[in-house]
Order: sequence, then C-alpha cells, then structure tokens
Amino acid sequence: MANSQPVVALYDAPMWESLSRERMQLQSCGHCGTLRYPPGPICTTCTSLDYRWTDLSGGGEILSWVRFHRAYFDDHPPPYNAVAVRLDEGPIVVSNLIGPEPEGEWIGRRVSLVYRRHLDRTQHAFMLSEQP
Amino acid sequence: MTGSLSGVASVIGIGQSDWVGDHKRVRAGERPHDSYGYGAQAFLSALADSGIARDEIDGLIVGPTTAYERVGELLGLNVRWGGQADAMTAVMEACMAIRAGLASVVALVYGNDQRSAQVNYGGPDAQGGGAFLAYVYHAPWGFTSQGALYAMMARRYMHERGLTQAELGEVAVAQRLAASRNPRALMRKPITVEDYLASPFICEPLHLFDYCLINDGGVALIIAEAGKARRAGRAPVAIKGVGRYDLNRGATSLEPRLLDYYLPAQQAVAAQVFEMASLGPKDMDALQIYDSFSLHIPLALEGYGYCPVGGAGQFMRETGISLAKGLPVNTSGGHLSESYMQGWNHQIEAVRQVRGEAGDHQVEGCRHVHYSSDVAGKAISIIYGA
Repeated sequence: MANSQPVVALYDAPMWESLSRERMQLQSCGHCGTLRYPPGPICTTCTSLDYRWTDLSGGGEILSWVRFHRAYFDDHPPPYNAVAVRLDEGPIVVSNLIGPEPEGEWIGRRVSLVYRRHLDRTQHAFMLSEQP
Repeated sequence: MTGSLSGVASVIGIGQSDWVGDHKRVRAGERPHDSYGYGAQAFLSALADSGIARDEIDGLIVGPTTAYERVGELLGLNVRWGGQADAMTAVMEACMAIRAGLASVVALVYGNDQRSAQVNYGGPDAQGGGAFLAYVYHAPWGFTSQGALYAMMARRYMHERGLTQAELGEVAVAQRLAASRNPRALMRKPITVEDYLASPFICEPLHLFDYCLINDGGVALIIAEAGKARRAGRAPVAIKGVGRYDLNRGATSLEPRLLDYYLPAQQAVAAQVFEMASLGPKDMDALQIYDSFSLHIPLALEGYGYCPVGGAGQFMRETGISLAKGLPVNTSGGHLSESYMQGWNHQIEAVRQVRGEAGDHQVEGCRHVHYSSDVAGKAISIIYGA
C-alpha cells in the first residue's frame, strides 16, 4: 500500500493552492455563474470558457455517505467515513465528516466546510453544523 | 430510424477458459496463464463450437485487457476490420461492422489475469482512472474503488426509494442459487438472506456478498452475418436489438449516480432496444445484468420497466429474481457467484439459455434474453433471441 495522492491537473492547481490558504475557491462561470467541480477549462452548463476564482460560503448538505471497513491507503486506516456533500453553491464534493457523527440519519444534515492538515497538504473536510 | 441492426448478425460460437480449474491453481499460488493465454483458450473453444474454419474470420475485437495487435498475431488472424472494446460495446460494434459490410465473421476475444496479477480496483494503484476520473479523483479523502462508488449510490438510493438491506440481499441469494446449479461457477454453496446480512461490510452499506469475485479467465464469441450464420450448421442465436445511452455530465462529482441512479440512461436505452427488437419486457424470459455490485440489479429492473420506479425491493422480495421464483436474473450466477469476466460471461450465458444448453440452470422454454449494463452511467442493452 501507499498514501493517497490528489489528482492535480492544470485547473486543479489553483484550487489546491486555495486550500493551502484555508480559503477554498472554485471557478465561477463568467457567463452563467455555474461553479465547476472538478475545476476545468469550460462551463459544462453553458460552454463558456470564461471564469473567475470565487470563495465558497462553506455551507452544504449531506447527500450520501459510506464507511470503509477495509484498508486501501496507509493514511486512511479503517474504519473511516466518506461523505458526498452538495455545496450550497451547487457542486457535489466527496470529503470526510470529522467531529461528532449524526445520531440517526446522516442524509440531509447540514454541514460546514473546515480545513485539515493531512500529510503534506491541506484538504477540506466537513463538520456537522450547529442546530438552528 | 431504428431497426437497422435487428437480426443483422447472430452468435454462432461461444467459448471460455476453465474458470474453476484455473481459480484453484491461482489460489494455490500458481499463475496458470496470462491474459493472452486465457483469451487464446476461449477463442479455440468458441471456434470449435462455431464449426467454421479460422480463415473465415475477417473481423476481430479484443477486450480492454489485451493489446489488439498481439491477440491477432497470436491467433494468426489477418482481418479486414478490428478494434478493442468492452463486452457490450464489442457485440454492438460487431453488428455495426457486419451491417456496414466491413466484416462478415467477427471473433470477440477476452482474457484477463486480474487475480493472479493482483490487479487493484481501489487504493493508490486503482485501475481505470485514465478512463473514469471519478475512480481516482476523490483519493485524498480515502474514497476510491468502484465498490465505494456504488456504496455511496446505494446508501442514498436505499434512503430515497425505500430499498432495505435484506431486499438488496435477495440479489446475492438468487445468484448463488443459480451458481449452485452451474458447474462452471466458482462459488456454489447456497446462501440465505441471513448469511448475507451476517457477512462483513467492505464499504458500508455494501457487504462482501454485494461485491463481484476477482478471478482469472477468458471468454470468446464468434458473431456472423445472419445469412452466413444460418449456413454455419448449428442453431444461431440472433442479436435482435441493441441500444446505448451514456450519462457523462457531472460524472466525476457523482451526479448521475446520486441524483439520477442512471435512470434516464436506462429509460432511453429501453425505448431504443425494445423498439428495435419489436419486443417488450414481458417477452423476456431471463435477464443478464452486469453485476460488479448487487445494486446494478434493482437499478436495471426499474430502468427497463420490469417494475415501477421505487418498486425493485418489493419486486425482488415478492415476485422474485431467481431460477426458483419470478423473473430469472443472472442465471449462471453472474459476477457475484459465477465468474468476474466483466460482462463477457453474461453474453455466453445468454446464448446458452436461448440455445437451451444451460443444463441444470436452464430457464424452461427460454426464447429471449435481455442483457443490460450500466457501468458508470453508460447504459448498454442487447436482446438475444432464437
């Protein structure tokens, strides 16, 4: 086995750089405003090539989750979770839920983006939001 | 507009390597063959089954695990037309080439030494990232392996559509029952839903029995132009319809999985394939569904209209999907219990069923078999018939 590695293609690099500053940004389409994830050269909604890097609100909702019971990476000893979060701005990201886990149903719970040092990089994770 | 590929070509020969014998040898630490050796054995068995001579073959498609030229070289095949494709695309492309007059007898050859070569489907060396970014993009969070992708999909599907864990277990139980009657199957000891629920989680909510096997082996088919097939001397099995629809939008961020469960793709393919074959779901005597994971079965049952959307759990529990009850699905044991030949074993099982040569796992009076795959939201469907 070995440690996990991010895919850092040309358009991913600024996103990972924004994570290292603990202020995650994604490309916002210059024409229709759609956010791109993964980052890329063209808007998949309107095909515009224009974009600007934009901050995220950090809010989202759990769409689904899993728990790994088998080791795939040295840096992720089982058991551990992964969550699919629908960001308030639209994109779905896969991440980890850290801190207290929900009692009962996870799907639909509000979560907030946090930053975590992992190996030699900073990556996102999510925590349950305070109950309103 | 459709109809153009219906009845154009027929399967005249099927073959495979010795999955069971080779699996025992691999588990004992041997490497009996490589991918090319497995493919060669399957080819020889399909060629003998077809009754035609090797020099009548003028088209060749090889599976994605082997190099096209090297397979052609090893089998001594100079051809007019060829390429590399997965099982379901290969069958479609053979029909297209025959229809276009580019070939008249196409050999489809697949060999894979994935078990003895210790191929990984998750982790740092996860396969498939070059073709499917989702397989590797979420690695920093420990999220790789096709099993994890289907586990993520299954959790939300169960939440939204009401499928229970025990209902999902009906898939593994039904396919193990089929495998118990199939001497070519690797896993033949029957299991119950209780056994399923007691089996360990790999990526929760999926249990061990929701996952396909990993084994070595080969499969081959000989597909011929329909007129030539009739003269070949043995009952040909016609390809009556094909269809395809690919969901690519949002694929890496899992949108087709988590928001649509591939449904729009399967519904689009259903319309095409049933119209092309002039048949409907009620005409199908058995289903072969690509089952890298159990979840593919409820998705296809709903997508192709065998039950209402949201009704797969009840259908599997009450109507049944086994040789013992209801609509038989994966009558050889499928990838979960027979052999993980990446969709290729489903094609030869469909042919065996239509020929009436499936022995103890034969579906009585089987005339039409529907094949479906939906890997990564790429829905493909084939209807085989007498």
